[in-house]
Amino acid sequence: MSQGAKPVRRRAAGQWAVAWRRFRKNKSGLAGVAIVGAFLILALYGIFAAPYPARSFACLYQGCTNLPPFVNWAHPLGTEPSGIDVWSEIAHGASGDLYVGVTATLISVIIGIVVGAIAGYRGGAAGALLLGLTQVFFVIPILVVILLFAKIFLFLVAAGLGLNLIVFALAIFGWPVIAFIARGEILRIRELEFVQASQALGASNTRILFRHIVPNMLSPIIVIASLAIAGNILTEVVISFLGFGDPSASTWGLLLDDGFQYVRSSWWVSFFPGIAVVLCVLGFNLLGDGLSDALNPRLRE
Amino acid sequence: MASLLSYLVRRILFAIPVFLTVSVITFLITNAVIDPVAIVRLGIKNATPQQIAALKAYFHVDQPVYIRYFYWLSDFVRGDLGRSLYTGTVAQKVLPWIWTTLELQIPALLLSLGIGIPVGIYSAKHQYSKGDVAVTTTAIFGVSMPTFWLGIMLIILFALDLRWLPAFGALSISPPYIGGNIITDALAHAFLPIVVLTFVSLASIVRLVRANMLDALRQDYVLAARASGVPESRVTYRHALKNAITPVITVVGLSFGTLLGGAPALETTFSWPGLGYEFVQAANNLDLPIIIAITMIITIMVLIANIGTDVVYAYMDPRVRL
Repeated sequence: MSQGAKPVRRRAAGQWAVAWRRFRKNKSGLAGVAIVGAFLILALYGIFAAPYPARSFACLYQGCTNLPPFVNWAHPLGTEPSGIDVWSEIAHGASGDLYVGVTATLISVIIGIVVGAIAGYRGGAAGALLLGLTQVFFVIPILVVILLFAKIFLFLVAAGLGLNLIVFALAIFGWPVIAFIARGEILRIRELEFVQASQALGASNTRILFRHIVPNMLSPIIVIASLAIAGNILTEVVISFLGFGDPSASTWGLLLDDGFQYVRSSWWVSFFPGIAVVLCVLGFNLLGDGLSDALNPRLRE
Repeated sequence: MASLLSYLVRRILFAIPVFLTVSVITFLITNAVIDPVAIVRLGIKNATPQQIAALKAYFHVDQPVYIRYFYWLSDFVRGDLGRSLYTGTVAQKVLPWIWTTLELQIPALLLSLGIGIPVGIYSAKHQYSKGDVAVTTTAIFGVSMPTFWLGIMLIILFALDLRWLPAFGALSISPPYIGGNIITDALAHAFLPIVVLTFVSLASIVRLVRANMLDALRQDYVLAARASGVPESRVTYRHALKNAITPVITVVGLSFGTLLGGAPALETTFSWPGLGYEFVQAANNLDLPIIIAITMIITIMVLIANIGTDVVYAYMDPRVRL
């Protein structure tokens, strides 16, 4: 090898590298990443640097209640008649809502993959049971049942469960969709040649399942997960807005509930948190659409 | 015809275990984990002895849980929905709410289909044109928006600020009615919530129609039809649309659940006395018989809508065997 020319080792581009190359060209997908990133920063700002603590009525004692937005730069988005600073509370809400949306989705993805993998790979009674169960979950009026669940177990919120009660409820009703998709993917993948090859080589079922099949079924699940985060945030907003959430934890829904109470006097209390919800959910939706384009080349021209 | 009938019977038989499972879940949530009487005591301060007695009778609390469930189920199936913990029987109260909810949902559904399908077709036919970009941008904002928040914004603008339309309720409480009679009054009250519901479901219908149309227009049979000289409008509306529309029907049918159950927040912002609003009220008052009745009624309506969707689907798509 001649001097200076280092041996260039080019690894064959893996499926993720190819997907990233495709995703990089997708403007709306990149916009989704940027928006989601901005909200992550906002959530961190809310946790560490927001001017007021969560659900703090401090402005009441400083005599600056019911301020309109863009008037006093100590309160850029105005204050509620009760003395809550809207900007600070939106930042706290970002951490609350992202926590609920992401955690609930993660839990339902993990449960969904495990259940879907077992049902799809083993088939038989487990598969049939899972299919029946997903049918039930498709029919359940989920929002109503979640509201019911949240109301009946509201005492657990005060007992220290807090927002985790909603996380739990969303996860319980979220995993069947993932399981359904996972099962379909497994039925498809287990017939592919490389799986049969490793079977022929004597690999154990667990190894085939978790080394070969699960990594290959991740791409549709990642897409669904991104859209599920958006959906979970929207549901969380409805739950807190209706007063079925944790009344002491900051969420956008709770702030919108305040806004609705002051709808006649202070439009900004419901306007700005709503914009935050729309942008954040939009970010995850754009991200999901972009991932779907990048990970499913079949859909492209 | 005979095959359609047997298909219907099979679908209805299949719906029964689904219904039973939902009923068990609802019953267990409201019942088994904690004593329902204790739930009411926790939630309703100063629960009256009559309320406690009514609840004990409704749930047959002196029995073990599984027996309670069968008593409750047999009451429910025979149409005995029990009495509200406050006033009146559940059946008397719930029936008008169904109607009030449908008064919003059916016009919104028809409008969003009527507008959404042509707009989706236009968008797919003119992919990446300015019009398409405007439509897809609006649509993705529409699906990212909490329905009730759009409602609040419209209330602020059109009801509180401009004072063009009423903000709350389904009818003026007393005359004078808006526009002079009760019909224009009802229309004025329904206008804003219908606009909100239409916009939000329109967004998802447009996205769906567009995606399916794009897919259909790329298929070989479309190419073949064009090549053999079929006029473009006929290719679009007969060949492509016919195949693109079936998934739309499925999704609209399946969304019937969110349609009925998904409106609690919107109905609450407009104080619209439908199933969703009353569900929230009943949940806040822990009126368990009403809560259970609404949950089960929505489930039954979803099941009926699903069966209807499948039948329409089978009718439209000859590949689906009955």
